[in-house]
Amino acid sequence: MTQRPLELILARNLMSALSTPAFLVDEGGLLVFYNEAAGMLLGKRFEELGAVGPQEWGSLFGPFDENGEPIPYDDLPLVRAVRAGRPAHAELTVRSTDGSHHDVEVSAFPIQTPHGSQGAIAVFWPSLANSNGAAA
Amino acid sequence: MKVKLWGTRGSIPAPGPETIRYGGNTSCVGVTLADGSMLALDAGTGIRCLGLALPDEPTRLHILLTHLHLDHIQGLVFFAPAFRPQTEIVIWGPASPEASLRDRIARYISAPLSPVEVRELPCDVSFRHCPESEWEIGSARIRSASVSHRGPTLGYRIDDGDSSLAYVPDHEPALGADLDRLEEDWISGFELARDASLLIHDGQYTDAEYPDHVGWGHSATSHALSFARRTGAERTVLFHHDPLHSDDQLDELGREARDRWIGFGGDPARIELAAERAEYELPVRAAKALA
Repeated sequence: MTQRPLELILARNLMSALSTPAFLVDEGGLLVFYNEAAGMLLGKRFEELGAVGPQEWGSLFGPFDENGEPIPYDDLPLVRAVRAGRPAHAELTVRSTDGSHHDVEVSAFPIQTPHGSQGAIAVFWPSLANSNGAAA
Repeated sequence: MKVKLWGTRGSIPAPGPETIRYGGNTSCVGVTLADGSMLALDAGTGIRCLGLALPDEPTRLHILLTHLHLDHIQGLVFFAPAFRPQTEIVIWGPASPEASLRDRIARYISAPLSPVEVRELPCDVSFRHCPESEWEIGSARIRSASVSHRGPTLGYRIDDGDSSLAYVPDHEPALGADLDRLEEDWISGFELARDASLLIHDGQYTDAEYPDHVGWGHSATSHALSFARRTGAERTVLFHHDPLHSDDQLDELGREARDRWIGFGGDPARIELAAERAEYELPVRAAKALA
């Protein structure tokens, strides 16, 4: 098994201590961790799901745009952050495993290291425009 | 591969009658490879004595720095071989986006902190950033990896024949992490230490002291032992002693560590505290001590 880059390890450790839903992807876009707060939002703990690729992620949780249409993978803030090496922000809706929907704002930023980009972190915030119960 | 501890103390030298047995010099470990190549792991004040022990003849030495905190470089300007023109020294260390390794070390080896400048050293000295991939020195393969500490910090693994030495003297892998439960690929420094013949690892604090030092970049005893158990190191030396710990306190810490190790189901003879001038000759790899 390959050792994770230290920056991802430290990011995961930090995220584990946060009460804000947060997601971590590696440099290939694989979702490698989300914290307990994110698990509460989605209705499934990371330990139950494990690392997942974008296709599985999309089928489980969306996300959806304001018209209820699935957001293309390439347009997701996390993916934009990883690929462009720039922060990205969006408002979107995620679907929990119980079928409920949560409007959130997502801020993603890349993890840049001396050895290049190692992935990205996304933090979810309840949408101010239409707060309908997203986890705080 | 022969290993000798020349400095076992962390943070600041701690000489005095209270620290005679474990030593007061800061981090430095001498390594002699199977082909005779010589390495020094870190250049704390212990490297002064290492230098005095080297023969006064043409010498090539590699110094592998984990990071540039003062307790790991303080001995450089008192390293006698650096003042001999027949000495060749290659200094390896972590890269930084801020400045080259040479320029960062020169902040210490320059006025007003030092009476000499890097350019005035009579030896042939060069500086190299550790590569991301494995490289060779003499008969050994060397690997470095960033580890959890304050600032850019590396740990090293040296494989020479069937023996392996992992050197991670400043390390806080348990910061925000449960080492007993976390998947191994998410543990800082894991691959460096996996199944190592000898692991030299940070054990600066007692478990009682650690809560007042969370985030300082060092390990409590139980963290070091969990790391050793998870990585399957065959023998572990707790290193980088706190300067406030006397020999008697370290004796007690060592007893506690061995008791804990027994609790893990391990052989207490495979856990010890680093003592200055202790020597290890790494044998052909034995069976794993603890699964």
